[in-house]
Amino acid sequence: MDIGGGVLPAVAAEEEKIPQRPAAALVSCGARQPLEAVRNILRYRDLVAYLVARDLKVRYRRSSIGFAWTMLQPLLMMLVLSLVFSTIFRFNVENYAVYALAGILFWNFFSQSIVTSMNSLRANAALLTKLPVPKVVFPLSTVLAGLVNLLLALVPLFVILVVTGHPLRPALLFLPLAILIATTFTFGAGLLLSPLAVFFSDIIELVTVLLTLAMYLTPVFYPMEIIPEHLRWAVRFNPLRSVLEVFRDPIYYGKVPPLSHLAVAVAASLAVLVVGAVAFRRSSDRIAFYV
Amino acid sequence: MSSPAGERPAGERQAGERQVVVRLDDVALCYRLAKQRHSSVKDFAIHWMKRALTYEQLWALRGVDLEVTRGERLAIIGRNGAGKSSLLKVISGVLEPTRGRVETRGRLAPILELGTGFDHELTGLENVYLNALLLGHSRKEIEERIDEIVAFSELGDFVRSPIRSYSSGMLARLGFSIATAWRPDVLILDEVLAVGDAHFIHKSRQRLRELRATGTSILLVSHDLKAVRQMSERCIWIDGGRIAAEGPVDEIVDRYEAATASEEAESLTVEAGPTASPAVP
Repeated sequence: MDIGGGVLPAVAAEEEKIPQRPAAALVSCGARQPLEAVRNILRYRDLVAYLVARDLKVRYRRSSIGFAWTMLQPLLMMLVLSLVFSTIFRFNVENYAVYALAGILFWNFFSQSIVTSMNSLRANAALLTKLPVPKVVFPLSTVLAGLVNLLLALVPLFVILVVTGHPLRPALLFLPLAILIATTFTFGAGLLLSPLAVFFSDIIELVTVLLTLAMYLTPVFYPMEIIPEHLRWAVRFNPLRSVLEVFRDPIYYGKVPPLSHLAVAVAASLAVLVVGAVAFRRSSDRIAFYV
Repeated sequence: MSSPAGERPAGERQAGERQVVVRLDDVALCYRLAKQRHSSVKDFAIHWMKRALTYEQLWALRGVDLEVTRGERLAIIGRNGAGKSSLLKVISGVLEPTRGRVETRGRLAPILELGTGFDHELTGLENVYLNALLLGHSRKEIEERIDEIVAFSELGDFVRSPIRSYSSGMLARLGFSIATAWRPDVLILDEVLAVGDAHFIHKSRQRLRELRATGTSILLVSHDLKAVRQMSERCIWIDGGRIAAEGPVDEIVDRYEAATASEEAESLTVEAGPTASPAVP
């Protein structure tokens, strides 16, 4: 049974009957074509599902009240904001609680997904330097985990809608599409930023600051009206605002978002996704060297 | 590298020819090591402004051409740092070549390091899932093979304990059982069979023979030259990122051993110098 040097002739004879398997194509490494990249992700979809589940488990194992925290945190935030803005700053928004909560849910999803996807490559360094797993699965699964959180947090939102007697209109059926647009935008931004976190370890702090700036440039918890007229352009030209309004319109105003917002949101999210995918692709051959 | 993935190997079309499963065409790999570490944006910006971004280029591979055919067993030998592991990483797709082209056919199963893709807090059984998912298998495929994988690893009830309690031999058994469970087209082993006990080494070699009989090609990096002679028929010797020699395993290993021996003798005479005993020729 031993295949030591002495029995080489036997090995040589065995060589002749090596079957030619029905062959896949000889393919070049690295998915350079967009279609190839998508097929690669689909092949690893069970891994993505696993990583999402693991991400959620880790997130909830840390807190003693587990999943309930996802629902409770935005509610507490809403309470704080309602208190601050109804007593101190005093601007008049009808049913501000719903307005603010919708904004908070959107912003939490966006900002947390950006930060976690920036951390995801470093966190999985041991895997992506030793296994040919497509690196995109790591930012993708963190964004999807964020999406699951967002969906869970919609439950208390609907409770608030009912409790405050906010009208539930058929426009709410538009919400899944709005969430898809928001997810596309967020995933694109995550792809764009996550390789940077590999090359520069301190960029996450910088991005956190920029996210705070972006939050104030987006009417997350304030109405457009409080911005002085001569500064409104800064908010108007912010594509994030359209993505947010597309998400909030069906909830708060009970209407399908106007075409102006919708067009900007769809165009912006597709543009960010394409730019993010290209940037990720271009830097992905260097990621394994630096993590 | 940007050329389209058009299939043009002339040899393939003829039925009698052996099928190529791995082809490397003028592959070079460069590790760009920053001389200063710009791990922060601030550092980077300062150096960039001073135009002082200097990099040390380390070419781990320089112009490697290689073809591996279906069912072939190829060993890769060479000294530490010669580029063996880099070569396996490029072939398996973990690293992309700086220059040149790597093409592979079918499913690859690399074991580049012991315990890669294992989560030490999870049990052996959970790690089978994780590891196989990372190799690109679906949940369904894993369900179909899980019993077989556990049986082959001979871990018994240990599969229900966290793998942080495993010995390196047990990790190797589990990793090998997973990687070989799906008859990969190319199996890539980097020095991972050395830690098993005699029984498992025998068993794993048996499985390698079975795999090969069904057409799996095996790429092996090892410093164990006896194992190299036994487990492969072709061998390449890598030195300084290039293929220094290529041919039948016994011939190449003989030359490699001779070269290493004479080098050792040389270094001994140098070290010995005038003060040491003159016994060394």
